[in-house]
Amino acid sequence: MESAMLRRTIYVILVTTVAAVAAYWWLTAPTALALPAPTRGPDLANGQELFNAGGCSSCHAVPNQPDRLRLGGGLALGSPFGTFYVPNISPDPNDGIGRWSEADFVNALTRGISPEGTHYYPAFPYTSYHIADIDDVRDLFAYLKTLPQVAGRVRDHDLPFPFNIRRNVGIWKWLFMDVRPFVPDAARSAQWNRGAYLVNGFGHCAECHSPRNVLGGVISSQRFAGGPNPEGEGWVPNITQKGLGSWSESDIADFLETGDMPEGDSASGSMRPVIKNLAQLKPEDRAAMAAYLKSLPPVDGPTPPKRREGGD
Amino acid sequence: MKRTLIVVGTLVLGAGAVMAQQEIAVQQDNLMRSQAKSMYGVILKMAKGEIPYNQKAADEAIANLEADVAKIAKTFEVNPKQAVVNATYGASPKVWQNKADFDSKIPPLQKAIADVKGKIHDVASLKAAYTAMNDRCNDCHETYRVKLK
Repeated sequence: MESAMLRRTIYVILVTTVAAVAAYWWLTAPTALALPAPTRGPDLANGQELFNAGGCSSCHAVPNQPDRLRLGGGLALGSPFGTFYVPNISPDPNDGIGRWSEADFVNALTRGISPEGTHYYPAFPYTSYHIADIDDVRDLFAYLKTLPQVAGRVRDHDLPFPFNIRRNVGIWKWLFMDVRPFVPDAARSAQWNRGAYLVNGFGHCAECHSPRNVLGGVISSQRFAGGPNPEGEGWVPNITQKGLGSWSESDIADFLETGDMPEGDSASGSMRPVIKNLAQLKPEDRAAMAAYLKSLPPVDGPTPPKRREGGD
Repeated sequence: MKRTLIVVGTLVLGAGAVMAQQEIAVQQDNLMRSQAKSMYGVILKMAKGEIPYNQKAADEAIANLEADVAKIAKTFEVNPKQAVVNATYGASPKVWQNKADFDSKIPPLQKAIADVKGKIHDVASLKAAYTAMNDRCNDCHETYRVKLK
């Protein structure tokens, strides 16, 4: 009698385990996108514009050297989940993306999937880039191919268990990645829509300017409302009208070009490299981003600590 | 009684140390604010045409900036290990982890100031001077200045 009971229990546990493993495997399986045929040849000027809008250089340029087009990677990016080491995306055939196909690049940028079919960590902001137009991504790829090859493979990320299991990123994407495509708002101007596309897509502004939950997912109700710096030090400001209410549209556009603020100050910290990138954009793209940002309704973000204590 | 005195004495000393740290942070903050006043309150506003161009005010701002910049290394010698209460910006602890690198950012700014001093005659030259100097401010602020709210 007892042994029948035991046998049944073992059977139930086995079936449950198999079902759980199957569900985990299914949920975490990276699904690559089949790439449609190109409709036109690559536009390198557009690729360069998106390279600057996307801020690729801020993370991927070799640190502590002046050339922002040497994309050999190596920057250590701190996070609550461990340290990420930014990979080499120069066209080097061995250490960079020189051997990648266009489909590999589109899947990496918009789906967060490597050419080997594994998940990238969302420290790489494909969570924003996914709304990018495929022709734009192709232009960016063509532009990256024109940049200097930089040799040197970057070391692996330094992440503790369970964050070191890439397959788990599949669950994270399922929970937190908004996969809806960009849908232009017909009630708004073409300029506003261009701004919405750049701010939410390539610009990936919300990645730093939004608070995150304990698993690192952006809290969507407080998107753009600021929060603790995900890299660990200080605070990222609220860029909804709660924080920027006193800035005019042209104040915002000026800031994106120069870093100068209307209240009489200049951007600092991680925003400085962002300004360096945005200063290279066409003025109409900065104006479009400003028009969109100015339209963000005021949202209260988390409250910064009253006084920063201690430290070393 | 003796014990009470020791306890009270320790508390007073401890409070004094905390006050001193806050005092250091305030001094550092005030020095940066004074530079911001010359740089952004006068030079930038004038360069942008928000206030009318005034030769005397521009020259004074450059002179004040020059004097303030000379005080940075000394004023930031000690790590206060705290930010000013309710401050919007603060110094990163990295300043004292890499003090030599932090200090190395100062001479290029002093050179930029010396290069423009006496050569500002109108809005256009003021604007160019602003950019030349502010680029050097940014070289340091990118790493060592932290937004706190």
